Amino acid sequence: MTNCIELNGLVKEYKTFTLGPVDLKVPGGSILGLIGENGAGKTTLIKSMLGITRPTAGAVKLLGTDPDRAKEDIGIVLDDCFFSEYLRVRDVETVLCRVFKAWDKGLYRDYLDKFGLSGAKNIKELSRGMRMKLSLAAALAHRPRLLLLDEATAGLDPVVREEILDEFLAFVSDEDHAILISSHITSDLEKVADYIAYLHQGKLLLCDEKDRLLDSYGRLVCTREELEQVDRGYLVSVRKSQYSTEALIRRKADFKRLYPKLAVEPVTLDELMVFIVKGERA
Amino acid sequence: MTGLILKDFLILRKTLRSYLLMLAIYVAVAFLGYWSASFVGGFMMVMVSMLPMNVFAYDKQAKWDVYGLSLPVGRTKTVAARYLAVLIMFAASAVLTTVVSVALNIAGRMEESLGEYLLACTVCAVLAMLVNAMLLPFLYKFGPERARMMFFGVMGVIVLLIVAFLLPLGGLEWLKSLDAPTLEQIAAVPVAAVIAGVVLLVLSFLLSRHFYGAKDV
Repeated sequence: MTNCIELNGLVKEYKTFTLGPVDLKVPGGSILGLIGENGAGKTTLIKSMLGITRPTAGAVKLLGTDPDRAKEDIGIVLDDCFFSEYLRVRDVETVLCRVFKAWDKGLYRDYLDKFGLSGAKNIKELSRGMRMKLSLAAALAHRPRLLLLDEATAGLDPVVREEILDEFLAFVSDEDHAILISSHITSDLEKVADYIAYLHQGKLLLCDEKDRLLDSYGRLVCTREELEQVDRGYLVSVRKSQYSTEALIRRKADFKRLYPKLAVEPVTLDELMVFIVKGERA
Repeated sequence: MTGLILKDFLILRKTLRSYLLMLAIYVAVAFLGYWSASFVGGFMMVMVSMLPMNVFAYDKQAKWDVYGLSLPVGRTKTVAARYLAVLIMFAASAVLTTVVSVALNIAGRMEESLGEYLLACTVCAVLAMLVNAMLLPFLYKFGPERARMMFFGVMGVIVLLIVAFLLPLGGLEWLKSLDAPTLEQIAAVPVAAVIAGVVLLVLSFLLSRHFYGAKDV
C-alpha cells in the first residue's frame, strides 16, 4: 500500500506561531482525521502541504510526488466557499472544467442533484451549508485521488453530514485514494477516520490508528483518595472538580488488570482533547 | 489558464452589464447632440481602468487566492491569466470605442475628424493601460485596499516631482517654443505609445509574478 501523504519534518514559522515539525504518513485507502483546538495549526498544515503557504522547512510528498505535480489529482475544501458571490453555481463548472483536465461534467451535475443545488442559483443566495456542498461537488468532480478537507462538514445538518461521510467512505474504498479531514465535529471522525492526528499549539501530540488510540486511552472516574493510590505512570492528565475526579489514563488494558475495582470508561476524541489541553499534567 | 480568465469576466458580469447600459445612454445622448463624442471615449477609458481593481477586490472578498493557489495552474500562469484578462478588457473597449466613433462620425455627430479622434482615443487607451501596468504590481503586493491608497500616494509624489521640475522652467511655456509636429511625427505617436505600453506591461508582469511568487496566503 503506497502513502498518499508523506510529511517529513514539515515546519512553518510565523512571528508568533510555529507549526511543526510534523511527520505524518497517510496510506492509500484510509482517512486521517486531524483534530485540534482553534489556532492549533490545522489549516496552516493543509495550506503548507499544498504550497499555498510556503513551508519553512521539511518535505512534502502527495500521491508520491511533489505537491505542484499532484494538484491535478487533489480535491480540496477549505473552511469557506472560495467562489465569488457574483458567480452562479454553473459558473463554477465553466471555470473549473478548463482548469482540471479530468473534470467530469456529468459527475458535477450528479453531485449538484444529489445535494439539491440548482445550477442557475447565485452563490450569494446559498446558505453556508449549501456553499459547503458546492465546494464538495467542485472538489469531487475531477475525480481526485486525494481529498484535503478543512472543516468540510461544518454547518451541515446531520442528515447531509451522514450522506457526505458515506461519500467519503465510498471514496476511500479505492486503495489509491485517501482523505485528510480536519474537523471539530469529532463524532464524524470517530465514524469514518482510520487514523487520528492531534495538533496542539502547532505540535503533533498524537498520531495513531483511531481504534488503537481509543482502545489504549481511558477515562478513570474515581475519588481523590483512589487517584492517590494509582501508579503515576498510567496517568496522562487529571481533571478535578468539587464533585468528581477524572483522569486520562494510558495503557487502559494493563490498568484495568492492575486496578479491577476502579471504573474506567471509554474515552471519546473530544474528551481526549479536553484532557490534554485543560487537564493538569499528572 | 482560460478558466481563470473566464472567471474574471464572470465575476465582472454585473459590472460590465451596468457599464454597457451607461455607455448606451452616453452614446444616445451623443447622437442627440447634447454631448461631444470625445466624452464617450473618455468614459470608456475611465471605466475599463477601474475593472482590474474590481477583480482584485472581488477575489479578496471571496478569499479566492487561497483556493486559486491550490489549483493545478501555477503562480506564473495565474498572473499571466490576470494580465491577459486585463488586455482583453482594454482590447474590447478599444474595439467598442472605434465602432461607436465610426457610427457617430457617419451620423455627423463628431466635431473632430475621425482620424484625430481615434488618435486621441489610442493615446488615452495606452495611458490608461500604463496606469494599470503600474497599478497591477501594487495590487499583487499589497492587496486592493492598501494598493489603491499607496498607488495614488505614489502617483501624487510623481506629479509633485514633475511640477517641482517644471517650475524653474516656467511651467509648460517652453512647449510653445517648439516647432509644430509634422504628420509623420503625429503618425508615430500611437506606434510609440503602443510600444511603450507593451514594454511597461512586460515589466509590470515580471514584477507582479515576483510578488505573487513570494506570496504567503
